[in-house]
Amino acid sequence: MADYDRGPRDGGRGRGNYNNNNRKRRYRDDDDFDRRPQRRRYEEPLSVKVRRQLLSIAESALKRVEDEIVSIAKTVCDNYEDEELRNSFYDLVIQLVVEQPFKTPFVAAVVLVVNTMRAEMVAEILKRATERVNTCVQMGEWRETKLLMKFLGGLQGALEGDGVWLVLQDLLSKAIDLQTENNEETIGPELVKIILFTIPYIMASSATDMQEKAAGMVENADIIASEPHVLQALVDPYPGNGNEEATAPNGVLSLLQKQLQGEAANGWELSCLPRPWKVLLETEQENPLASTTKHPLPAIVIPEAVTAGPRPLFPELYFSVYAHQDVETVPPMTDIASCLLRDALVDTINILDFNRNATARFLIDIDCYFSPDTFVKRATPFDRLRDVEGDKSTWKPEDVAVDAVFSQLFQLPSPEHKLVYYHSILTESCKLAPAAIAPSLGRAIRFLYRNVDSMDLELSYRFMDWFAHHLSNFGFTWKWTEWIDDVELPGTDPKKAFIEGALDKEIRLSFAQRIKGTLPAPYQQLITEGKEKDTPDFKYNDDAVPFAQEGRAILALLKRKAPEDEIQPVIDQIRQLALDMNLPDPLVPSTDAYMTSICYIGSKSLSHVLSSIERCRERLLAIGPRSSDARKQIIDSVMDYWKDQPGIGVNIVDKLLNYTILSPGSVIEWAVSQHGNRLSMSYVYEMVSLTIGKVTGRTRQVVRSSKVPGLTAEQRTLVVQSMQAERKSMKDLFALMEDSLVSWATGSKDQVMQSGDGTSDEEAVIRQWGERWLRVFRRKYAVEEAWFVEVEKVPVIDVAPGEGVLANGNADKVDEVEMKDDGIE
Amino acid sequence: MPGPVRNTVDRLDKPSAYYQARNKKRRYRDDDDRERERTPEEPADDPLKDAATLYVGNLSFYTTEEQIHELFAKCGEIKRLIMGLDRFNKTPCGFCFVEYYTHQDALDCMKYIGGTKLDERIIRTDLDPGFQEGRQYGRGKSGGQVRDEYREEYDEGRGGLGRAIQAERLKEEEEYGKGR
Repeated sequence: MADYDRGPRDGGRGRGNYNNNNRKRRYRDDDDFDRRPQRRRYEEPLSVKVRRQLLSIAESALKRVEDEIVSIAKTVCDNYEDEELRNSFYDLVIQLVVEQPFKTPFVAAVVLVVNTMRAEMVAEILKRATERVNTCVQMGEWRETKLLMKFLGGLQGALEGDGVWLVLQDLLSKAIDLQTENNEETIGPELVKIILFTIPYIMASSATDMQEKAAGMVENADIIASEPHVLQALVDPYPGNGNEEATAPNGVLSLLQKQLQGEAANGWELSCLPRPWKVLLETEQENPLASTTKHPLPAIVIPEAVTAGPRPLFPELYFSVYAHQDVETVPPMTDIASCLLRDALVDTINILDFNRNATARFLIDIDCYFSPDTFVKRATPFDRLRDVEGDKSTWKPEDVAVDAVFSQLFQLPSPEHKLVYYHSILTESCKLAPAAIAPSLGRAIRFLYRNVDSMDLELSYRFMDWFAHHLSNFGFTWKWTEWIDDVELPGTDPKKAFIEGALDKEIRLSFAQRIKGTLPAPYQQLITEGKEKDTPDFKYNDDAVPFAQEGRAILALLKRKAPEDEIQPVIDQIRQLALDMNLPDPLVPSTDAYMTSICYIGSKSLSHVLSSIERCRERLLAIGPRSSDARKQIIDSVMDYWKDQPGIGVNIVDKLLNYTILSPGSVIEWAVSQHGNRLSMSYVYEMVSLTIGKVTGRTRQVVRSSKVPGLTAEQRTLVVQSMQAERKSMKDLFALMEDSLVSWATGSKDQVMQSGDGTSDEEAVIRQWGERWLRVFRRKYAVEEAWFVEVEKVPVIDVAPGEGVLANGNADKVDEVEMKDDGIE
Repeated sequence: MPGPVRNTVDRLDKPSAYYQARNKKRRYRDDDDRERERTPEEPADDPLKDAATLYVGNLSFYTTEEQIHELFAKCGEIKRLIMGLDRFNKTPCGFCFVEYYTHQDALDCMKYIGGTKLDERIIRTDLDPGFQEGRQYGRGKSGGQVRDEYREEYDEGRGGLGRAIQAERLKEEEEYGKGR
């Protein structure tokens, strides 16, 4: 990762300007870049100017943020009559708070300054903010509720009486009610999270004399906050896998609770939070804070029935890749800064998924948004941290930022967005500030690699997938030399499995020769000759292979698109030969010859293999129902033909599932029932999780469609029946997995079935793989069940008999989702 | 609630300026009259409203379907992948269409994959109203993409210099040879 690509942007533009005065038109670029504005410049409306100022508040390290705050507030108040300006200001204040959480304290400060000049504007902002909170609470938008509460917390100093505390009290009562009823529910903790994250922002606000209230609130929240949630074990990223070093997971709530107790004891120092409102103290007025208007906080009503909202809620654990270094580069878990920074970062990341460049900018600029001494200077090398004097901070802003991205990438059961989003932020951050970010990533990778065997299997797969994808954006450079010792490990070792999996993924994004060129000598053996071949050999070209002649005959027939009645005789011939040889299932060798020929003919590209499968579809479809061994042979043939490029094989298996030539059960059986060492291969895991994902995705779709309102009684019975059938087959599939995996995990799988040379060491390793697989797929099943329980809660209203028209309309919708699995057209 | 709120930062899942400009031009030309008749309350139906297809550009000629699949499947299952081909040689000419099952997957792809690297080139993605037969071929004079006709920079992944320039140079050389 030593080389970085810098965009061509700057270079190109600079050159153009240099030529500006006496230039000849030489390149098109000159025209594109040098053209001066030809239209008359126009004065931009004030609302646009203020919008720009407010949007970029605190972004620049060159401007003093206090001046920005005063200037914005003054413009807005001086032009109070400008309705467009006023309204766009109100809107933007709220929107900034919910879209760019880093800026909340600064926006709050603007509002506080406005309060000294135009108090009625603050009343309006409070009205709008609380309206929005009420909507969010109704809809179960808990994150947005939290963001608005943090903002209101920052305005506590301009509020009458108890202000925000009353809302927190209501939230807490609700949470306690919920938890008393059922301690497995997840909304209660979510509400407590809002409370606990609001408190620091009140305590860092201009409000005074709040210590007692804060301490009381923290104490009252304790019964929920310090209790580890029952589902916590389900989402533990480092379950250990027999590794004794594994540590108990840290729930974010209980962690924050402890930190708040610490702050309460230390007079609420909250040193990382900025206090831009202090600009108010710079006026000549005596005690300006006390003299401003205090507003009543409009009512915020917590509804009787609260909903979980758009995202499934699971307990949140605090994850860090930098927790165990000899010099602190991120706040330790004992410091409240760890939770406060993480919370703001994670919200920023997840909210701004629609512009990864903006997100990356925020990550790089994080030090602009917290108090000035929170971090060391950007891009300070790790080795220099030891030279930092006294009790000055050694926290590296880039480590704190990168840590937060990893916490999402490794979020269980799944993060808010597709994993590739989190890849893309790391890529962009690395492009923006390579010298700062790349070394941080390097240290993160080393930590993750070192602990790859005690990590949850799903997460170690995510790590590998990210690693390969990331390298593909940076010329595939990595210091492979540091893992050279691990190249000699057996293939079932988790570290070796990681290396092999990562190299395979790199090759898939590039090509074997290219990747080989990036590797030190000891790794070269891993890129076999077979991997460098575009078209794998057709095994039946070798006469030593059984049924070689027949295999070649089938290939020739398929190549010239011969009709079925010419192919059948050759299949029969294989069948006869197999019977003569006393093979258990004569359909197996003929299927092998047939499928291998299809693969060979389609070896040129994915669309080639798809069209050749398409042509042979009928015969392939007929195989499965006749013999499950033959169906498994289809997978064997594909994976054997593509053994050197298993990614292509996995892809073909995926398409065969869509054509229903394979059943999900056959894929699971192929993967986990026969060969223990398959559990260590990342592509096998990939194949199984793709298959499971397809099944659960379909089941969810069917469940959702069984929820369309306004059906007649018969229609309802029908959809419910098909939904139950779908759920049953999903459950059976998980049970099938469970059976095989339990026997691997407990070592009760009949080892004689294996090649036989399994040493006891090897067996222990396989047992661990079994355990890791089991944990992942048990979790996946639990997540599906939890999802179903949530969906079942939603009441469905049906029509009374006689309102058939509407009902039919909806029944069509039910048909529509009958489904993409039926094949691609 | 009023119409969609403008975000505080730009969105990456909007169609490109290229697409929008082309559409505008077309509208001026073709349905100038219809445009005028349309009442402001019923906005033109947006062909990208449910688009699940992406145009992908700036690929290397050597990038394979499998490589594209590997990257783009990170945003969702791919329904169809159509390689852009040279109109005459039927060889890849540096673009493709990726079709997902859902509109959301296509939007996510715009946000997370457009502008990142594939096969060590920064690729471009653009929402597309949907593939139609014929669009898989380059529209340049010599069969490839138009942008590869007059390109003055040497691009190894896309056949060196622009083809028209290569042809011109070849001609010059030949003529020079004859003259001697």
